[in-house]
Amino acid sequence: MKKILFFVLGVAGISSCNYLDVVPDNVATIDNAFTMRSAAETYLFTCYSWMPSHANMFTDNPAIMGGDEIWTHTLSTTLFSEFTPSHIARGNQNVVNPYIDYWSGQRGGKPLWRGIRECNIFLENIGKVSDMTDYEKARWSAEVKFLKAYYHFWLMRMYGPIPVMRENLSIAAGVDEVRAIVREPIDDVVNYIVELLDEAAVDLPDEVPFEVQEKGRITRPIALSMKAIVLATAASPLFNGNTDYASFKHADGRNLFSQEYDVTKWEKAAAAAREAIQVCHDLGMELYYYTNGPFFNQISDTTKTEMNIRNVVTERWNKEQIWANSNSRATQIQRHSWPGLFSTLNESGAMAPPIKIAEMFYSEHGVPIDEDLGYNYSDRFKLRTVTPEYRLYLKEGESLPQLHFDREPRFYASLGFDGGRWYGEGRYSDDENVYVAARAGGVANSHIYWFSITGYWAKKLVYFQNIHTNQQKTPQPYPWPVIRLADLYLLYAEALNEAYGPTEEVLSYLDLIRKRAGLKGVRESWSEYSRNPDKFTTQNGLRDIIHQERQIELAFEGHRFWDLRRWKTAVNAMNEPITGWDINQEDSENYYKPRILFNQKFSTRDYFWPIRENELLVNRNLLQTPGW
Amino acid sequence: MYKKCIARTQTFKPLHRSILAWLMMVKLSILLVLLTCSQTSATVFAQSVTIKGKDMSMKSIFSELRSQTGYHFLYLEEDLRNTRPVTIDLKERSLETVLDYCFRGQPLQYEIRKNRVLVERKKLSAPKLRSDLIPVTQQREVIGRVTNEQGEPIPGVTVSVPETSIGVTTNENGDYRISLPATAKLLSFSMVGYEKQEIPIPDNNVVNVVMQAQVADIGEVVVVAFGTQKKQDVIGAVTSINPSELKVPSSNLTTALAGRLAGVIAYQRSGEPGQDNADFFIRGVTTFGYKVDPLILIDGMELTSTDLARLQPDDIASFSIMKDATATALYGARGANGVILVTTKEGKEGKAKVSVRLENSISAPTRNVEVADPITYMRLHNEAVLTRDALGLQPYPQSKIDNTIAGTNPYFFPATDWRSELFKNYTMNQRGNFNVSGGGQVARYYFAGTFNQDNGVLKVDPRNNFNNNIDLKSYLLRSNVNVNVTKTTEVGVRLYGSFDEYTGPIDGGAGMYRKVMRTNPVLFPAYYPVTEDSKFVRHIMFGGISGIDYINPYADMVKGYKEYSRALMLAQFEVKQDFSFITEGLTFRAMGNTNRTSYFDVSRAYRPFFYQAGGYNRLDDTYRLQILNELTGTEYLDYSEGQKTISSVFYLESALNYNRIFRDKHGLSGMLVYIMRQTLNANAGDLQQSLPFRNLGLSGRFTYSYDNRYFGEFNFGYNGSERFHSSQRFGFFPAGGVAWHISNEKFWEPLSSVMPLLKLRATYGLVGNDAIGGPEDRFFYLSNVNMNDSGRAAVFGSDFTYTRPGVSIARYDNPDITWETAEKVNIGIELNLFNKLGIQADIFSEYRRNILMTRASIPDYMGLSASVRANVGEASGKGIDLSMDYKQFFGDQFWVTARGNFTYALSEYKVYEEPQYAREWWKSRIGYSLSQQWGYIAERLFIDDNEVENSPRQNFGIQPRGGDIKFRDVNGDGQITALDQVPIGNPTTPEIVYGFGFSTGYRNFDLSCFFQGLTNESFWIDAQATAPFIAYFYDNENSSSFVPQNALLKAYADNYWSERNPNVMALWPRLSAVPNPNNAARSTWFMRDGSFLRLKTAEFGYTLTADKLKRLKMESLRMYVSGTNLLTWSRFKLWDVEMAGNGLGYPIQRVFNVGLQVSF
Repeated sequence: MKKILFFVLGVAGISSCNYLDVVPDNVATIDNAFTMRSAAETYLFTCYSWMPSHANMFTDNPAIMGGDEIWTHTLSTTLFSEFTPSHIARGNQNVVNPYIDYWSGQRGGKPLWRGIRECNIFLENIGKVSDMTDYEKARWSAEVKFLKAYYHFWLMRMYGPIPVMRENLSIAAGVDEVRAIVREPIDDVVNYIVELLDEAAVDLPDEVPFEVQEKGRITRPIALSMKAIVLATAASPLFNGNTDYASFKHADGRNLFSQEYDVTKWEKAAAAAREAIQVCHDLGMELYYYTNGPFFNQISDTTKTEMNIRNVVTERWNKEQIWANSNSRATQIQRHSWPGLFSTLNESGAMAPPIKIAEMFYSEHGVPIDEDLGYNYSDRFKLRTVTPEYRLYLKEGESLPQLHFDREPRFYASLGFDGGRWYGEGRYSDDENVYVAARAGGVANSHIYWFSITGYWAKKLVYFQNIHTNQQKTPQPYPWPVIRLADLYLLYAEALNEAYGPTEEVLSYLDLIRKRAGLKGVRESWSEYSRNPDKFTTQNGLRDIIHQERQIELAFEGHRFWDLRRWKTAVNAMNEPITGWDINQEDSENYYKPRILFNQKFSTRDYFWPIRENELLVNRNLLQTPGW
Repeated sequence: MYKKCIARTQTFKPLHRSILAWLMMVKLSILLVLLTCSQTSATVFAQSVTIKGKDMSMKSIFSELRSQTGYHFLYLEEDLRNTRPVTIDLKERSLETVLDYCFRGQPLQYEIRKNRVLVERKKLSAPKLRSDLIPVTQQREVIGRVTNEQGEPIPGVTVSVPETSIGVTTNENGDYRISLPATAKLLSFSMVGYEKQEIPIPDNNVVNVVMQAQVADIGEVVVVAFGTQKKQDVIGAVTSINPSELKVPSSNLTTALAGRLAGVIAYQRSGEPGQDNADFFIRGVTTFGYKVDPLILIDGMELTSTDLARLQPDDIASFSIMKDATATALYGARGANGVILVTTKEGKEGKAKVSVRLENSISAPTRNVEVADPITYMRLHNEAVLTRDALGLQPYPQSKIDNTIAGTNPYFFPATDWRSELFKNYTMNQRGNFNVSGGGQVARYYFAGTFNQDNGVLKVDPRNNFNNNIDLKSYLLRSNVNVNVTKTTEVGVRLYGSFDEYTGPIDGGAGMYRKVMRTNPVLFPAYYPVTEDSKFVRHIMFGGISGIDYINPYADMVKGYKEYSRALMLAQFEVKQDFSFITEGLTFRAMGNTNRTSYFDVSRAYRPFFYQAGGYNRLDDTYRLQILNELTGTEYLDYSEGQKTISSVFYLESALNYNRIFRDKHGLSGMLVYIMRQTLNANAGDLQQSLPFRNLGLSGRFTYSYDNRYFGEFNFGYNGSERFHSSQRFGFFPAGGVAWHISNEKFWEPLSSVMPLLKLRATYGLVGNDAIGGPEDRFFYLSNVNMNDSGRAAVFGSDFTYTRPGVSIARYDNPDITWETAEKVNIGIELNLFNKLGIQADIFSEYRRNILMTRASIPDYMGLSASVRANVGEASGKGIDLSMDYKQFFGDQFWVTARGNFTYALSEYKVYEEPQYAREWWKSRIGYSLSQQWGYIAERLFIDDNEVENSPRQNFGIQPRGGDIKFRDVNGDGQITALDQVPIGNPTTPEIVYGFGFSTGYRNFDLSCFFQGLTNESFWIDAQATAPFIAYFYDNENSSSFVPQNALLKAYADNYWSERNPNVMALWPRLSAVPNPNNAARSTWFMRDGSFLRLKTAEFGYTLTADKLKRLKMESLRMYVSGTNLLTWSRFKLWDVEMAGNGLGYPIQRVFNVGLQVSF
């Protein structure tokens, strides 16, 4: 019995503190990420992981469905509990819980400040890695600097003046230190972003050395192009001397928007665009032309032109794409831009461009349809029977509105609609054509939820070799093209015109793009066909031409949303009703009547996102965006 | 007899020195006794003694006698100082003779007890009387029988003649026979646990007595931390309950807690078998940290509330809850939220006693949520679209509505009542329980087994050969064995296994209820019948819609089943050593236990084939079926492995106890406990969670009482936890208290018949809580970095093939994080009136410090990937708990008892880091209850769109319209934002929980009723989960796997705002087919009063009379019918109010039960 006692007391006697020391020494800390190259690489990828998903039109990217370019019916919102961009399009943005909030990382937005913090951590620590060459350290740092710049730019485009996180704030920072961080004047933000991009460009490679592993990583052309985009944005009316924000200032009187219009900002933008274009050209980049494919030698030029336009977006890694985001690949967006073609069981895409987008495209003469001397604009909704010569665009014998006749190739390449040809999906010759049937009872309009509310689909986003069977649709994903050369040409043209007025150089870059689209040059087209033949000779007139060219060329690629804002024209364009065809009608007479779907409202405050109310409570010095 | 023995040894020198000095002395005594005594246990007890010696000291005589007889002498060294030496020469005499010889003329007396001889100083005032010394003058004999209030005989009652030593005890049948002098006038009847009675002896010499149970029994023992205390000595706030009061016709013990234990706040939110544990808190919730629920200890082992739920009241020996600091300080770091202590029964000496209880019950929902009929559903769905958007598309053409009304074809125009497709009206459950106990002097045993079967109310499709209904079988087996290894050493082994075997629908019962509430009634039928076209189809043709995975709850229910198996295996070894041979009252106890919990689930299901009806031919009433998922459906079962959990716990506890009364008046006790505990989880999820959970602690309790009038107690816990940085690892938690037993004072004597008990208690102390963060947040002093986070991965390469994971930080390190501490004060009063009404009331207050919370000053632009936390929060709680019981007997056949409990617990934020609320003081949480909700003040519904335009801007994501809820602009800034939220309603945790009931018996019948209620609770109708027509997902659901569409509650259909009837006070605002964040915002509109009172249980029983039992060779037999949740009084009618915001889940059940209890 004593033995038991001693045993028990003995066990009890192991009362050393070691019993509670359960944590082994080798627990991972953030330092582990910078001991070896392979770990540092994961941290580099972490920095990339905050990249907004450009192709995710349902949550991440407000620019595709958050404006007036692509509409959708309300029933689909019942299927997607959080279909955030449509709320922005419908004017439901709010301060309590903003939609697509990249500041706080909620409702479709990613917390980009976290991304910026991690970029800073990377930059602080990459020097510690022992098994990396200086060249590689410099390259990776340059990539992270680009990301840091891009995340700032993304926030700036949404929120206007933002704080700049040059360095990380310590976790132990006091309340005063934290609250000292406020929005900085827009010019300072731009300067810092440009500074980072300049630093990055020095150490970035022209092309990724190992395409199989690295395609999609940031290169020098990307950084230089982004610089041009940032500077052009900063030079645009929204940011350049915008007097709407005269009272948007800190308590100490510091203005957040400079109140003086500064033309040199355009000059800088033009110079940056020129440099970027030059570098791209030196590296062999050029506008995309469809040069091979199924039945290439048998198809007509019309079809080839259509493919020039569609494939520039959907063909992976083509020569025009400066930056394609391999982390955001177009899959869902293809399904939702794709009408059912063969079986009534198939869903049709619900992403529906409204009639105003269909009207935006030029006539076959390359001028706006309301300017074209040969185009009967006022009768554009009148029906006309399709004759055989239109068979590569329209279904023979159908009664279709004048609006669908005699349009530029980009109209037919970008839009799918009732009676329109849908090239591809196994039908690659010009002889066996498939046409969309979208009137009530048609294959593309038979599903109770999946249909286009306007009668249009963004055909341009759908790769022509996708497969479509009775049971399902299988798209081939492509990396989302964030920047392509045509974008740079158009920006360059725009900046030149703004900085120096109409010049031959401006027209030459526009004409490159028009040529690829099967159109004549600006001078020729306007002189010959426009009611306003001298339009391109004035700065204002040319500005309108450049704007429209840009919207047509880059339609559905997520540019119009931001362009209308930076031009300060959203307040005009987005106060118009959204219209579509009367899709529940079976016969053409009734179907082709424009129907108002929504009365869109856009006011000055909508140019920028509101900051979440809670964030303002944490730091009252942070100003709310005007109007919110 | 044993007690008597202790009482006789209470002579000691008066000790007016400090406790410390006393402790020194105890040590000295231990040493001395150890020196003088040798091993005794193995010696054979000899009957006769031969002893010879001259001038032997008493000590040496004792030593000699011990070696000859094996009898063990207990004495205090100093008592022998004044003895004179003895010269002795006796041969072959009895021990007593020898002792009598030796003790003659000594200042000592002795008593032989079993194998012990107790030696003590002689009491001069009370001359020892022995019956055989009384001259027998005239004798008479008295006989009689002693029974309890229920008429059952009581064996072992002491029947004695006052002032003499004449006494006998009653036999098994309660009968006694006593011879006594004719002069005796009174007979005294006494028994522990009963009131002592003195009854005049009548002429016929027959005295039958009904013993009445003592209300405040001084001998009653209460289980407290690491031991027991006499009830009268308890200073802390401890509530114990008679386990039989916890008997409810349910397989879940936790559902019986509400209202039965003063100090417990409890409520039940679901009635699903296996998921129906009640939530319970001791004295409310006073922390906003991680762990808010009490520590549950079953036989000293920390277990979960599910393990508590499975316990059988039949097996419970005691059930106590510890509420204040002195009661819980010993648990140091783990006692802050109160402690529930349960001990299970042990065997008692005697022949094997078997008792069996069998029950069968019928269970049905107390209340079902009513949904609108399918026609109304379609009309209102159309209206919901059009009322928001005149251009919108109507989901149902008028022709469909007309055809559905006409009942044209129930498959092409379906109108499905999903609830009746899926659910039965009631179900049957069975419970069986047996136990055997008994034993001899050496070993005692208690074995118990339980089998419970709980069925759900789901239907089963006859075309499947598996059961998809909920069928929860739980088996329990318990074996408690105690063995006396030596005369002073007892060893106990407890083995316990609890096994749950479950089969049920893959989504669970609540999941099925929720799905039914999210299914459109008119899109498709549950399934299509086999027709001529489909006669070769071998599977069930479930209804569906192409392209959208709408819920077909019937398909989800019958497509397969899930099995889970949960087991708890537990083994415990305990040693108790009585060290009274060292010094009286010293005991040692050591206990080690280990348990293993395991859980796994497996699902087996086929993938249903869905069909859609098309091409309806009006003429011949036929339709064409189109298969929707030919490629993905299967006719065969597939299986998927679910969660698997395994964990092990090891626990060691050793305690040294000292408990003694000196000089009749000074009661002293001391205890030191040392504990070690480890928990290990097999599939923890990450490295840090995989590390063992450990606690280490030394605790102590020291009590002193004077003359049963004044009591003092000091406790401490010194505890370590692995969670904290080494500088913060240990915490010291002291507590102390005093009590005054006023009714034991001399001056109280005149009042003692009115108020036989009056006691005041007060305690104060600190208790800790180390579970301040979840398991994923255990090591706050370490950062938690995931070096392999696929969520932070990126992909590159021309074919998107090169991917690397990323790095993420789940926690930043903070070495300063430490214990949460609770400072608790308790003042209590216990009183008893006329031995009939007992009242116990406690007022308590508590102050929590170091509550872990997220720093509020971190803006998003800092870019932290994890929130920064610190021990900065403070909160307080206060309240009252009160219990009353009342007993009354009318003759010996009729009795009534009544009891009531009342708990009132408030909580309050004291320090809470918040954003800068300068102007919006109402947003601050300080001063409000921890479960206070903030929301908007809903004024009414907007009259029209015009009013919306002219009201403060109110935008939660969708522009409101007329008929949407209008909120008050509290801060007057012209817009409704989060700053306009004010504290609304009562807390969501009820502040008042009460219960009352009575039991009554007449002859062999008994009836009891128990009412339970709670109040000061608000809850919110979930305006999103109940919003008709929208797709609502619960938190843990994968929103890509199916598409829900909410049903329309009948109450909403009957009372909503519409353009025809713009009632601005309608129950439901303007309809909407899409989620409306305006109306879903938390506001007073959907706030409801959670108060209710319900007839929780009622029971009617019949006990067979003793004579009949004898024929059946049984000891007792009782038959009873009982019920739970029989009646409810509440203002809320949509569903069972106790479910509060969880109203669309599995309903709480009303149970009718018949039972039989037999023992033999």
